[in-house]
Formats: sequence, C-alpha cells, structure tokens
Amino acid sequence: MDAARRSEADPDHRAAVGSVLESLGIDELDPLSDLDTAAAAGELCRAAGRVALPYPVVAALLREPGGGPPLALVPTAGSAAADSWAVDHGDLFREWTCADLDGRACRARPAPSRLGTRLGPFVAPVEATGPAPGDGVGARVDMHLTLGAWVVLGYVERALELAVEHVRGRVQFGQPLAAFQAVQFQLADAAVIVDGLRELCRFTLWRVVTNQEGARPDALGVRLHALDGARATLRTCQQLHGAAGLCDEYDVSILCRHIQPALRLPFSAERTADELAAAVERSGFAGLFPHGGGR
Amino acid sequence: MDYDFGPEAGKLRARLRELIAAEIPEGWLGAFSDDPADLEVAQRFCRRLAEEGLLTLAWPEEYGGAGGSVWDQTVVREEMWAHHEPRGAQYMGLNWVGPAIMAFGTDEQKRRFLPPIAAGRIIWCQGFSEPDAGSDLASLTTRAEPDGDGWRISGQKIWTSYAEMAQCCVLAARVGVPTERKHEGITIFLVPMDRPGITVRPIRSMLGRHHLNECFFDGVRAEPDEVLGGVGNGWTVIRRALAHERVGIARYARCERLLSLVGAELAAAGAPSGLRSLWARALVQVRVARLLAYRTVAEQEADAPRDESASVARLAVTQADQQVAEVLFQALEGRSLEAGPAAPVRGAVEDHWRYAQAATVASGTIEIQRMIVSRALLGSGR
Repeated sequence: MDAARRSEADPDHRAAVGSVLESLGIDELDPLSDLDTAAAAGELCRAAGRVALPYPVVAALLREPGGGPPLALVPTAGSAAADSWAVDHGDLFREWTCADLDGRACRARPAPSRLGTRLGPFVAPVEATGPAPGDGVGARVDMHLTLGAWVVLGYVERALELAVEHVRGRVQFGQPLAAFQAVQFQLADAAVIVDGLRELCRFTLWRVVTNQEGARPDALGVRLHALDGARATLRTCQQLHGAAGLCDEYDVSILCRHIQPALRLPFSAERTADELAAAVERSGFAGLFPHGGGR
Repeated sequence: MDYDFGPEAGKLRARLRELIAAEIPEGWLGAFSDDPADLEVAQRFCRRLAEEGLLTLAWPEEYGGAGGSVWDQTVVREEMWAHHEPRGAQYMGLNWVGPAIMAFGTDEQKRRFLPPIAAGRIIWCQGFSEPDAGSDLASLTTRAEPDGDGWRISGQKIWTSYAEMAQCCVLAARVGVPTERKHEGITIFLVPMDRPGITVRPIRSMLGRHHLNECFFDGVRAEPDEVLGGVGNGWTVIRRALAHERVGIARYARCERLLSLVGAELAAAGAPSGLRSLWARALVQVRVARLLAYRTVAEQEADAPRDESASVARLAVTQADQQVAEVLFQALEGRSLEAGPAAPVRGAVEDHWRYAQAATVASGTIEIQRMIVSRALLGSGR
C-alpha cells in the first residue's frame, strides 16, 4: 500500500509505478487473445486491487492493438470538442481512447487539473479531441467492465483479510473481537460475497473471451455484483476496525477511499443495473433457462 | 478455466427435459400436495427413470448405478429441482440414504435396502431433529435400550418430512449412558415405519402437507441387523448425510426457471424501473449461487471437499431463493397471493415463495453455516 500513500503525497510517483508494470510486460498482455492471457490479466488486476495500486491497470491492459492509447469507459462518448469526462488517472497519459457501452469511441486528452480529493485523489478530467476507430471496441468495453470487477475483487479480498487480522488481535471486554458472534456473522456474510464475486469474475472472464460478440450482459452483471458487493463488504470491514478504520495509518482506510472511483466511474451501480436489464432484454443471459432476448 | 459441461451433459439435460415434458403434467408442483394423484405422478416418474437407468445415475456400477460423474449428478439435481422434484421423496433415498448404506451397511443391509431404492419403490424419512435437538443435533435424547438381541427405541422426532408416506426411517437414537461428549453413543437404525409403537402426527404449516410431522416412538423394536454403521458410530453417518444435504438441492435452478417464466412481466413496459433493477440483480445472484455450488462440486470431484465451501454455497443459494421469491412477488403484485392452476405460472410462484421461507432453516439453519464459515476464516485465533 506504500505506492498508494506515496502517490497521494506525490502524484508523479505514479509514473514510476507505470515503469515497473512496463518492465513486467503489461504491454505484452492482450486479455482478449486467449483464456490463459485473460486469466493472467485478471490476476494482475486483482493484485493491483489488493494494494490499491495507483495506476489505471485496466485501461493500460486494453490499449488499442499496436500500442495505441489506453481505454477509458465514459457514460457517452461523443466526439464534440466540448465533451469532457472524469477519468481515474486521466492526467497520466497524453492521449486516451474513450468509449461507451454503445460502441462509440473518441480520442481525448487530459484537461489541466486533477480532482485531488480524498475519495478521488487521482481522478482528472479528459476532453474529447476527435473520433477514434470503433472497430472491436465492444469486446474491449466488455473486457474493461470485467477486469474492473477483478480490481474490485482484489480490494475486497484484502479488506476482508485486514478485518480478520484486526478482530483476532483487538481485545475488548477481555476477549478478542473475533469471539463475538455478531462479529463472526458479519465476517461470514462478507466472505460469502467475496467468494461469490471471485467465482463470478472467473466465469465472466471465460464468457467474455469465448463469446466476444455477446457477453455484454455478463460484463455488466459482474460489474453490478462487484459494485454491490464492494459497498457491503468494505462497510463491514471498515466498521469492524472501529475508529482505526477511518485512519490512513490503517490500510483499510486507503482501500475504502481509493476504490471509490472504480465504484462511481463511469456510472453508478443503479445505472449498471438498468443497462444490464436492457442488455438481457436484447441478448439474453446465459444460464439453465432462457431470459429476455435469449428466449 | 472452462465452464462447459460438455456434450454428454447437454444430452443428459435434454433427455431429462423430454422425460419431464412427457411424464409430468403441466403445472405439477410436487408430490406433497393434498391430492394423492400428485404422489402417483412422482412414483410413475421414478419407475420411468429407473427403466432408463437414470434414477441411480450417480451410484457406482457395482450397486447397479451408472457411475455418473459429479457433473452428471449436478445436471440431474438441477433439472429435478427446477421442475419441482418429480422424484418426490425418493431424492433422499437416492442422494444419501443409499450411498450411506453403501458406505456403512452390511452385505445383508445392502441386499435388503438398495434394490428397492434403485427401483424407486421405497420412500425414506429422516428421524434426526427432536424438540430439544435442532441445530444442536448431538443433544438428541431418543433412547435405544437393549432388548434381547435387539433394541427398544423410545423418544420423539419432529420436522420429519414424508413420515406419513414413508416405508422406512433413518432413525438416530442414543445408546448407553450420556457422557460429556454428546456425539458418543448416537446410533443409526433403519426402521420400517409400520412397526408397532410408531405414531405420526402431521404439523399444519405454510409448506403444506407431508413436509412437517411429529413422530413418536414408544418402545419400537429394532432388530440387531437394523443398526447402520455400528453401535455408537451414528455421528459419522449423520455427518455424511448432512454433507450430502448441503450440496443436494440445486435451489438456484428453480429460481432461474421461475425468473425465466415470469421474465416477460418483469421487463414489461410500465413496470417500475426499480423492478427491472431487482430482476437484473436476481439474475446475477442466481448465477453466483450456481457458481458457488459448482465450486463445491469441483472440490468433491478433486476429492478435496471443504466444509466452508459447502456452507458458503448454501448461504448464497438460500438467500438467493428468498431474494428471487420476493422479486417474483413484486412482479406479480396483486396476483402474487393466488394459488392453484388458475394462478400466474399455475401457482408456481406462490408455491416458491412459501418454500423459500424455509430455505434458510431446512437441513440446518444458516446460522450454523455462518458459524462454519467464520470458524474457517478466523481459525484458532477466534
């Protein structure tokens, strides 16, 4: 979590994080190429989430083929010059490709400012500069949604581990907090959410790679589950830390703050649920019985 | 990373659906209604499955089964539960009573009990829970006293499903003097339900007939060869039975079928937008419950089952069951309370809602599952 803390104090440190990822070969990974590479990309995103890595790993993994700009998801990607959107780490690259769920894509560049708030320390606006090639952007959008859920998975897994460590060590009323059934049950419920999200992330990655034309409902589904699950799990994990959970000295506070852009951008959980319902109506939802457009 | 069961599983699923379409009347909601014809449907279906070798698909070949893989068994569980368990009460004999007899039974017990289970001709009930031994099952007080070369059993069981229609009971009773270690002394008996001294009293409930009964055992004779797994070894048998129960019911499959059947209403123009959101979330939650069940199955296949995985799966699926029940009721609004063939989806939604309320209690309350999960998380530092 050191990189997250240090980058908050010195945002330029993020470039060093990017250099490390480059040296590890992030540019060589095309998550859409095959299942093994997709799984490696998923694990990278999960590992990034575990340490609140201050770098847009998903955007970087989904650069246009041939080393093009990183990919940001935005609510509606027009190409009018006046359009601008909040993008996490939007100031890190000179040029972006911004895409929306409808497959529209445009080029964008950072606007000269950064949010710099406690909940969006690295969020920065980007402005549209012109159209971008839309070929194959749909599958990359689906992969973006999916890998975003893998990042969230890393956050919540680590938060749960930290909560477990804390309640085992913290003694009140003469016994560890872990001895209280109210605490045990909250942790069990959080574990069910985290285990479920982990399985859904794996399944969705498989769906997106093996059904590149029809995985939109799957990708929206995992994003929705990640957002819902993260809100519930992080709240529990922070609460179990007591006042300490609000202090940046404790990693859980960094996790709870730095995950916020992933939960809010490019759109909310409720918007995601609406989009999912519409996508299921259009294309169905893979399972044991037909749904919506799969009927 | 592959979630495709393969073509053989696809064929099995298709065949089961053909059989269900041919044998089960539309709108049939299970064997346990007030109408004896519903039970006859299930018994006929079991015989048909037995003829096709599908009833004991999961059983090893040496016991007349087809030696089906855990994934074949998963397909069967899903299709049966999705279609209101057309095997009726037989699922219990097939899923765990038979396998427990294979694992713990004598040769004579195997010869006596396995063929009727394999032919779909015998209904079992499970005499475990007692008025003062529910989640804390090891506190059971039904006693088996030596009687010549056999035993005399006295005590009370409760929540016993199918007791009125069952021919045999897997009965847990205590032998000897109770000790500090409550699990010791518990013994499993395989007792015919027509033995003198057994009284069954149905309990009226929101689940309908046959699901909940009280059973009174008043000096019921058990023969020496009706002990399963040895005297005092009952807890081992029970643990195996409960493990089967945890993964035994594919509740997510019925949830998904009902969401599919009611889907048009859920997505209709004019439906509240919040309902669309609930529907979308329910679809995802049901998928998650299925994936967690598959994780448990995969661990079984690898011969590395973990208690906490089964508990996580059960917590997820029982809560999904209730979540889906509520979404369906929200969708049907004023018609949700109707029951019977004229009700929406021929009463399947109303039936599901009532059953879903029991999902977090039946086969052990989910509080016990939470204890198992938290114990695994917290380890010795708890």
